[in-house]
Amino acid sequence: MAVVEQSASRAAPLPATAGLSAWVSTVDHKRIGILYVATSLAFFAIGGIEAMLIRWQLWAPGARVLGPEIFNQLFTMHGTTMVFFVGMPILIGFGNYLVPLMIGARDMAFPRLNAMSYWLFAFGGTLTYASFFAGGAPDVGWFAYAPLTEYAFSRGHSTDYWILGLMTSGIGTLAGAVNLVTTILTFRAPGMTLGKVPLFVWMMLVDGVLLIFAIPPLTAAQIMLLFDRSLGAHFFDTQAGGSAVLWQHMFWFFGHPEVYILALPAFGMISEIVPVFSRKVIFGYESVAAATIAIGFISMGVWAHHMFTVGLSDALDAIFSGVTFLIAVPTGIKVFNWIATLYGGRLRMATPMLFALGFLGMFLMGGLTGIMLASVPIDWQVSDSYFVVAHFHYVLFGGTMFALMAGFYYWFPKATGRMMSERLGRWHFWLMLLGFNLTFFPMHIAGLMGMPRRIYTYSADRGWTVWNQLSTAGATVLGVAFAIFFWNLFLSLRRGKPGGDDPWDAWTLEWATTSPPPPYNFEEIPLVRSRRPLWDLKHPEDPDWMHE
Amino acid sequence: MPLATAWPMVLALGITLLAAGCLTNWAMSIAGAVLVPLALGGWIRELLPGRGEFEHARVPAHERPRAVVPAAVAIAPAAGFVHRMRLPEKVHPYSAGVRGGIVGGIGMAVVALAYGVVSGRGIWYTVNLLAAMLMPRFATATDAELAQFDALALVFGLVIHALVSAGAGLCYGVLLPTLPRWPVLWGGIVAPLLWTGAVYGFMGVLNPVMNRRVDWQWFIASQFVYGILAGLVVMRSEKVSVRGAGIS
Repeated sequence: MAVVEQSASRAAPLPATAGLSAWVSTVDHKRIGILYVATSLAFFAIGGIEAMLIRWQLWAPGARVLGPEIFNQLFTMHGTTMVFFVGMPILIGFGNYLVPLMIGARDMAFPRLNAMSYWLFAFGGTLTYASFFAGGAPDVGWFAYAPLTEYAFSRGHSTDYWILGLMTSGIGTLAGAVNLVTTILTFRAPGMTLGKVPLFVWMMLVDGVLLIFAIPPLTAAQIMLLFDRSLGAHFFDTQAGGSAVLWQHMFWFFGHPEVYILALPAFGMISEIVPVFSRKVIFGYESVAAATIAIGFISMGVWAHHMFTVGLSDALDAIFSGVTFLIAVPTGIKVFNWIATLYGGRLRMATPMLFALGFLGMFLMGGLTGIMLASVPIDWQVSDSYFVVAHFHYVLFGGTMFALMAGFYYWFPKATGRMMSERLGRWHFWLMLLGFNLTFFPMHIAGLMGMPRRIYTYSADRGWTVWNQLSTAGATVLGVAFAIFFWNLFLSLRRGKPGGDDPWDAWTLEWATTSPPPPYNFEEIPLVRSRRPLWDLKHPEDPDWMHE
Repeated sequence: MPLATAWPMVLALGITLLAAGCLTNWAMSIAGAVLVPLALGGWIRELLPGRGEFEHARVPAHERPRAVVPAAVAIAPAAGFVHRMRLPEKVHPYSAGVRGGIVGGIGMAVVALAYGVVSGRGIWYTVNLLAAMLMPRFATATDAELAQFDALALVFGLVIHALVSAGAGLCYGVLLPTLPRWPVLWGGIVAPLLWTGAVYGFMGVLNPVMNRRVDWQWFIASQFVYGILAGLVVMRSEKVSVRGAGIS
């Protein structure tokens, strides 16, 4: 791949850069990244509407906003959408856009495979949603426990749509992960050793490895379930000698690393944003990177903490409980490092930093309830209650979504050349913080009072009404917050203030090129001597490489 | 640069149609089966030498990145703000923290066993209480049952105690360079106070069995023994140079 200075007469014809065909046929990592993010945002809007409908159904005891069948379909599709068609692809989208820029590469290692990965995700999501027009959407919960998903208990094709849609999307995700790992390992700029790559890249590297290990067991389980449902196999059919627990093992062998697959890129974003807005070097780069690897390893060994109530042995429960406690250590190291980076820094409270600080508080809450749930006796009490719903929303919404929003405001100028509105951004942040806590904190209490997850309605004498009403009110505030976010996106794309190449005075390589970058990213592949190559260029009198 | 191509999209469409046809109409699967080899062929053709790539002309000069210039303010203001950490040139090694944690953990265990003997509940009582964090069946156990030897509980108790002792010692060793002077004060007084407060708040959540039965006076005494021993071990260790020390 070469970039050449050409006279007008010799210049090769440039590919079309505008119009639908340019986007359909693009193999440019930046455009594919934008496609990932835009498609994920569309799915996010759909998943959000599903959540709002669920919340309005639960507003009052005995409400009839939705029928019970529709309710089951909505909570299934909400979970499936947010995990498979929003969380993973939007983070892969950010990775797609940023990783080559951050490591000084011209593109991903396999640009065409990259395009295929995106399209498989987009078509897989579409296929799953096509179920709404084919007799009804999947209604078996986002983790689709077999044998309840066997044909005897789940008639029709809705579960098959879930299986095939996710498998299609999963192939794309797997290909994307291989591409990310290869790119990071082989396409780094001269001088950029693994000890010098930005922490976001480190997180994406571990994320890619986790995806490579986590997706195949899910795909295998889905194929087995498909065989059970369509070809008369008996993998999960207990009456014919199949196992009722096998699906849970295979699903959660994917499902728990999945939590970290969704969290690690968010950690990476925070590790980039907090130092820039604190005007300090990240505290303990090595320990953050090492903690990431530790999380990657440990997260592969905690899956059965989702199965404490299944009736595994005391010894297994204890081992998985212990390992789950253990994963709090590297996670705690990261939180410590971020706080230590803030300590003594000259904080700039721009919108990305507000969301990063929001992330720190909300993710900490989710982490602490995670430690509670790692304790087997407590898990026995609150398993499958709203306490668990509150916990994972604090992790995945309070954690990943706050970090993602920080990332949006931070890298939007790089992708578009325009700043997002700070005023709207602050409205968005404060309403999101308020709405999020109002929605999900009361769920802890409802859960501790015994409210099971996924129930369609409840009776008035259970004492859950007020907590559900607070949650529904909070969800409405969240809806307003995201309406402001989408309006901000639209407005800033059209009339945003010009951002320049490096609006935050940042230090990583993506800010060394134009906003938006040219198709080939860099005029010349930069030579890297430290973890903050742009700092070195800006401060030749005090470069980082003298100290690392 | 690679040329734009629709073949990857066509391949993805073919795979999706193959799947969708299983649920809707075989005609879709047939369409998918046609598209997949077609797209693969197109894709592979683009990988042949001389095809599928082009030399990208540079964007117009005014759209190219401007050269990065050194910042106008060459040196960050010193008052109240530093962009680099200030670290001591020599610190106690982190391994000393782990050693201190292990020694402190042994001291703590001695206090816990002494409590078992003095209280008449026996030496296994505190071990079983600790293991109850991971063993739900102890939730309904009587005092007499908790006083009995249980091999699994001994293993869990030892593992928990060893990990927490060494881990807390490591944290102490890592944090020590950031704390002002007097390691024994921090390790022996301040840390046990903070740790005991945190445990007091969380024990009901982490280990309800122990929470119902713990003797707080003995528990606090064991924490102080741990802290003082860990602090002494760390303080007696030889300091080592910090890599990159001396930075501004």
